[in-house]
Amino acid sequence: MKKKLLKYYILAAAALLVTGSCNKDLEPYNGKSDKTALETPEDLQTATYGTYSGLVDRMYTKNLNQLGEYPGDDVALSGATGDQVFYTYTYTHFPGMGNTEQFWQGAYKVIYSANAIIERITDGTSPQLDQLKGENLYLRAMAHFDLVRIFGRPYPQGSGDNPGVVIKDNTKDDRPSRSSVKDVYAFVIADLEHAAALMTESKNAAFASKEVAEALLARVYLYMEDNANALLYANKVINSNRYHLVETQPYKTYFRVIPEENPETIFAIRHTLADDRGKDAIGSMYYNDPVTQSTGWGEVYASLAYVKLLDQYPQDVRHSFVEPQRDANGNMLMRNQTPIYYINKYNWQEGVANLSSPVILRLAEMYLTRAEASDKLGNAQAAIDDVNLIRRRAGLSGTALYTVADLKGRASVLDVVLEERRLELAFEAHRPYDLYRNNRPMVRAYPGFHGTNQFDQTIQPTDPQVINFIPEREIGLNTNLTQNP
Amino acid sequence: MKKGPLSGPSTKRRRLYNYAGLILLLLLLGSKKSIANVAPVQDTLIPVSGLVTDEKGDPFPGVTVYVPSLKTGTATDADGRYQVKAPAKGSLIFKAVGFGTQELPVNGRSKITVKMEAENADLNEVVVTGYTSKRLSQVSSSVAVVSGKQLNDVTSNNVASLLQGKVAGVVVQNASGNPSVAANVTIRGSSSITAGSGPLYVVDGIVGGTANPNDIASVTILKDAAAAGLYGARASNGVIIITTKSGQAGKTQISFNSSVGFNKMSMGNMKLMNSQQLYDYQKSYFAPADFARDRPASLLSQNTNWMDLAYHTGLTQNHLLSVSGGSEKTQFYVSGNYYKEEGIIRHTSNEVYNLRANITHRINEKLKLTTRINAASRNFENEASGNYGALVLSKLNLPWDNPYNADGSIKMGTEEGWIGREHDNFLHGWQFNYDKGKQLTTAADVNLDYYITPHLTFSTYNRVSYSNLRSELYYDVRSKAGRGLGELYNNSSYESRLITSNRLSYQRSFGEHALSAIAVAEGEKNYFENNSLYGNKIPAGLHIMDAAANIQQSPFGPGSKSENRFTKGLVQVDYTYREKYNLIGAYINEASSRFGANHRSAGFYTLGASWILSSEPFMKDQRFIDQLKIRASYGITGNAEIGDYQSLGIYAYTSQYASNPGSVPSVLQNPDLTWEKSKTTNIGLDIALLKRISLTVDVYDKTTSALLLDVPVPYTSGYDYITRNVGSVRNRGIEFNLNTQNINSGHFKWETSFNLSINRNKVLKLNNHEDIAYSSLQWISEGRDLYSWHMRKWAGVDAKNGDPLWEVVSTDANGKQTISTTNSYDDATLQYAGTASPDFTGGINNRFSWKGITLSAFFNFVSGNQVYEENTNDGSEPTSNSRVLPKNYTRWQKEGDIATDPKAVYGGNKNSDLESSRFLQDGSYLRLRNVMLSYDVPENFLRRIKVNNARVFISGDNLWTLTGFSGMDPEMGLRPYAQPVGESGNNFQQNSTKYPLSKKVLFGINVTF
Repeated sequence: MKKKLLKYYILAAAALLVTGSCNKDLEPYNGKSDKTALETPEDLQTATYGTYSGLVDRMYTKNLNQLGEYPGDDVALSGATGDQVFYTYTYTHFPGMGNTEQFWQGAYKVIYSANAIIERITDGTSPQLDQLKGENLYLRAMAHFDLVRIFGRPYPQGSGDNPGVVIKDNTKDDRPSRSSVKDVYAFVIADLEHAAALMTESKNAAFASKEVAEALLARVYLYMEDNANALLYANKVINSNRYHLVETQPYKTYFRVIPEENPETIFAIRHTLADDRGKDAIGSMYYNDPVTQSTGWGEVYASLAYVKLLDQYPQDVRHSFVEPQRDANGNMLMRNQTPIYYINKYNWQEGVANLSSPVILRLAEMYLTRAEASDKLGNAQAAIDDVNLIRRRAGLSGTALYTVADLKGRASVLDVVLEERRLELAFEAHRPYDLYRNNRPMVRAYPGFHGTNQFDQTIQPTDPQVINFIPEREIGLNTNLTQNP
Repeated sequence: MKKGPLSGPSTKRRRLYNYAGLILLLLLLGSKKSIANVAPVQDTLIPVSGLVTDEKGDPFPGVTVYVPSLKTGTATDADGRYQVKAPAKGSLIFKAVGFGTQELPVNGRSKITVKMEAENADLNEVVVTGYTSKRLSQVSSSVAVVSGKQLNDVTSNNVASLLQGKVAGVVVQNASGNPSVAANVTIRGSSSITAGSGPLYVVDGIVGGTANPNDIASVTILKDAAAAGLYGARASNGVIIITTKSGQAGKTQISFNSSVGFNKMSMGNMKLMNSQQLYDYQKSYFAPADFARDRPASLLSQNTNWMDLAYHTGLTQNHLLSVSGGSEKTQFYVSGNYYKEEGIIRHTSNEVYNLRANITHRINEKLKLTTRINAASRNFENEASGNYGALVLSKLNLPWDNPYNADGSIKMGTEEGWIGREHDNFLHGWQFNYDKGKQLTTAADVNLDYYITPHLTFSTYNRVSYSNLRSELYYDVRSKAGRGLGELYNNSSYESRLITSNRLSYQRSFGEHALSAIAVAEGEKNYFENNSLYGNKIPAGLHIMDAAANIQQSPFGPGSKSENRFTKGLVQVDYTYREKYNLIGAYINEASSRFGANHRSAGFYTLGASWILSSEPFMKDQRFIDQLKIRASYGITGNAEIGDYQSLGIYAYTSQYASNPGSVPSVLQNPDLTWEKSKTTNIGLDIALLKRISLTVDVYDKTTSALLLDVPVPYTSGYDYITRNVGSVRNRGIEFNLNTQNINSGHFKWETSFNLSINRNKVLKLNNHEDIAYSSLQWISEGRDLYSWHMRKWAGVDAKNGDPLWEVVSTDANGKQTISTTNSYDDATLQYAGTASPDFTGGINNRFSWKGITLSAFFNFVSGNQVYEENTNDGSEPTSNSRVLPKNYTRWQKEGDIATDPKAVYGGNKNSDLESSRFLQDGSYLRLRNVMLSYDVPENFLRRIKVNNARVFISGDNLWTLTGFSGMDPEMGLRPYAQPVGESGNNFQQNSTKYPLSKKVLFGINVTF
């Protein structure tokens, strides 16, 4: 009997052993608990790379370009497309658009990553941590600025007194409402100034540093018509002597060069070979390798209006960024009624068709910002000097240059400056913002798939669709948000 | 084992329950001793054992074996075996409800084999309820049994798809006609969205896995809590128990089954435009000058049918050879199966080789060893012509574009003059590209039953299973998808599963009382890993990573690992009085690594009772009712089917910037995350009449609380969603199962089986009573069906100008709502617009036989659900093909037209083809799922050629469907399109891209030697 009892005991014990084996937290193999992920300076550095990686995500990079360029007059969509950029290009927005939602999502992810790090670092702990905090402050500011450009009305309309976006400066899971455009700009400026004060390392152009924050400040002040500050910060960047315009010949391939080897680039979103987005890249819509015909969609071309502007001076090296496609007899190839002018600013980095590190800030913009601010402050000569500097680098000289006395038919110095800005910064997501913040209409008198009358579309700066709807998903999940009209 | 930081109270409680189970067992053991002591000694007691079978000779579990002189007894085990001690000169009584009682003298024999005679066959099937086996008549809960034969009428290699329409309350959706994609099963409505809503599979007594349909002896579906409850923690969505075949002692049987047939595409009600139709349609909305320039009449000389190019008639074949038999001590079943199905889209196929060996050996009277080994090798191919694929392109490509050059070579689609939007010709990609995979799956069970005493058995069930999958996607440098580089993706994954289940069971009867109890301890560990590699710059035709000049991490993630664990302890007690009153109760405690530290383990319990009225004296004298039983059960079950690691706050180390490793927040911590629990009440009635009718009716109420949901959160929070317990959902319903023998006269027989289920789903409570904006088309709201559509409501077409109209709901200061219409999509109001849940579903099978000829026809039906499918474009995509307007649809042409579809406008008519209730359609259908004609060759002829039996048949699947749905197949959208917002990407093609179901005709032969 004893033996039998022992047997039962063993069985019961085995049963208990099996049931007692599940009581610990299993941690994922590719992650760490958030309690231990931000402890050391090394952890914070790794997490800061994580914040930058949010920019590389196509949700941010691709949509930043498309939402900032496709509503413009430098590009022409050549036909119907299954991609929702169709609605962006044609100004037929609706609240459930995928691309605006993705950008909103990507931007707030970057902001959240940055906030988690900013909350961890007290100013002055060490130069290394100050630098990291500064970089995160810069990224947070940049994301807010891009959001307010896309979803909030241009600052000069009502002096910023329109609904902007949600200011998110914490890691709480809450239901915030929209701040005014003015308040968002103020928040962005405060972050950038704080960032500039904290950062002391001159990291390469793939990363933020003091001058990167200052360059963005110059743009922000220009957008809000604070011309004195725009001039001040553009000068700070130019006079830092960290950057210089590349020469005319190398400029032809400027956009293929990686940011850390590019002396003109102030800040670019570095894409490595591992970040090749293939057909999902920015360059895929603008370009399709003429040899293999298989690298991109190639559906959005340089507009005939832009090409005509460029063709005023055949020697302008900025022709290098536009590739007309012709048949064997030299006739322009067309898709539907749109001539095919491929844009190549987002191709062929490190020899890969759709690989590029999109340039966010470069020195040429600082000169043009200074030109615009100078003119608006009444210094026409300084404005013309900066414009001519950019034109000379583009290979133009002599009669191709302007003087205050000879604006070559342009109505004003501001027209000259804005035309040069258009020529120089084309396809880099500037044009619609530059027109609307100057209270000018968008006139699209060229072939493309815009509107029912394909060759004539004008959008006034007061048009509701100059900006985008707040994503319908967000309104559904956060009733404190209001929709744009 | 290492303890987690917050394991205190729950662990203690769990331990307590385990001790309680142990004490119960000890009590049971003790009682045996006391009974033995009071037995009068009038004769020498000798051990008697033996086998009880039903009239077919199959082992009969759960038969009461009673020793009248001792007022004691036992019951047969799962193998129909029993052991008792009885007086050598006494007798044994064998009884089971629905069967005659037999009293046999012992006469000093130590082995007594008994064959029971059935009174009504239907209610006396053996039900394998997981940890125990019972006759259906003894079961107190809602279960359904499908025999291997009923299961395998339709030809498929997937168990779920074979269950469609056969059981009340079980809804099966073939989400894809792709032969390598499995069907979805929903039992009694969905009570969960995020957490898996599929049932738990149990194969041969062990949780998890699946089996080759050809090897299945029976499938039991446990629907209510009392039945499924023993799988408590993961049984919330029902349990499907699969039992594979086993051998019988006696002559060795060799059986050969073979079928071969064809699969054809069915377009349903969908029609694409041909060259002329598209030409005429576009002419109606192009500006005349543009049309003359862009659409010359010369286009009409080409009329490419892209559907014909994409689809073909596929071949399906299924061959099974099995050998079974054995001796008194050892029985075996060994089978080999080859299955191959070519999909209706070219270059899609699924091919499976499956081997199984089930062997049972009685080591001695006390020990039984069972081993089961199943190994399967699968090869599958998916269509991989390029970025879009033939499924999509066959609908988008224009009939005007010629796939071939003048010299007969295949165009890429980028040639000058090609009009279609995607500039892609899948025929071109097919020349070089492929997407192939192979999978090896092995499972081995070793089970040992130890009959410690006639009443007490210890069993240990153990399984090791693993699966290896390797897939290759290759885009040749010559193809468009190859991007001028040549690309290769290699992916390999490994999955392993270890499970041990240890059981003590006790069975005994005392006079009129019968008691059985079981205690189980179980542990399970699941592990998954995968590795992906991407390479490019590969010379043409070399599809091997060695040849790639540039090898990178795959865009789909370079590699991952994941693991989870479950442990479980349970005790169940089952009591029967006078074979009429059954009571059953169980307590289950389960823990999972998936849940938060505060709620890792959870307790579940079940209670059931049934009363067999027909065994009462007052029912004895009537001839009308053969059997009548009422059942009631109540219990709590759980659901843990969420991703691993959802309760911890996690930084993911899966990103990089400028070649530096980065970390990003990926999961917000939720230590309170806990089991989803369902409380189910079930009341049922089983009735058998006139020896030819049996009816089962069940009414149930299942209320699920702590509903697990990936709740979308505002992106401003930094996350896309958080897995939370959000509220409660109720499913209520009624189910009918009716089997009748309509005619049974001599050679002619006609049998009908019919099932119908009606389920109503309602969200009872949500956190803070707030609606959850779950996706762009579906919201979750208190008081509504869990699958409620939510979108802009279509208000038809403005007869004046052909504009699209939507509803605007405005509410004034007094809360009064007024409805007006607008032609601005942006101004239209988002509102609820029907549900995706059907009003009722079911199936009916009629079977006629005359001599050896049998004809059966099986229909299934679904009614009252709304399916979302975008079925038209109003001029927004002039470079894509359009559908011909379905029957009863009209397009606006001129002022005053009352039309369903707006005026077609070049470039689109005011966003008319964006998401709205315009594309919600009634998804009801009635389908002839299978029709089969078979002939059994007469036995007297077969005997001469030494064949036991032989059958030839012809069978057709999905040959006919009645539906008003305008697309290819309403079934494709039965489960709603419920992709959380934010994961949809930029492409807004939705349900139009599902792989259609095919029609099949098969010829087959079954021979047994």
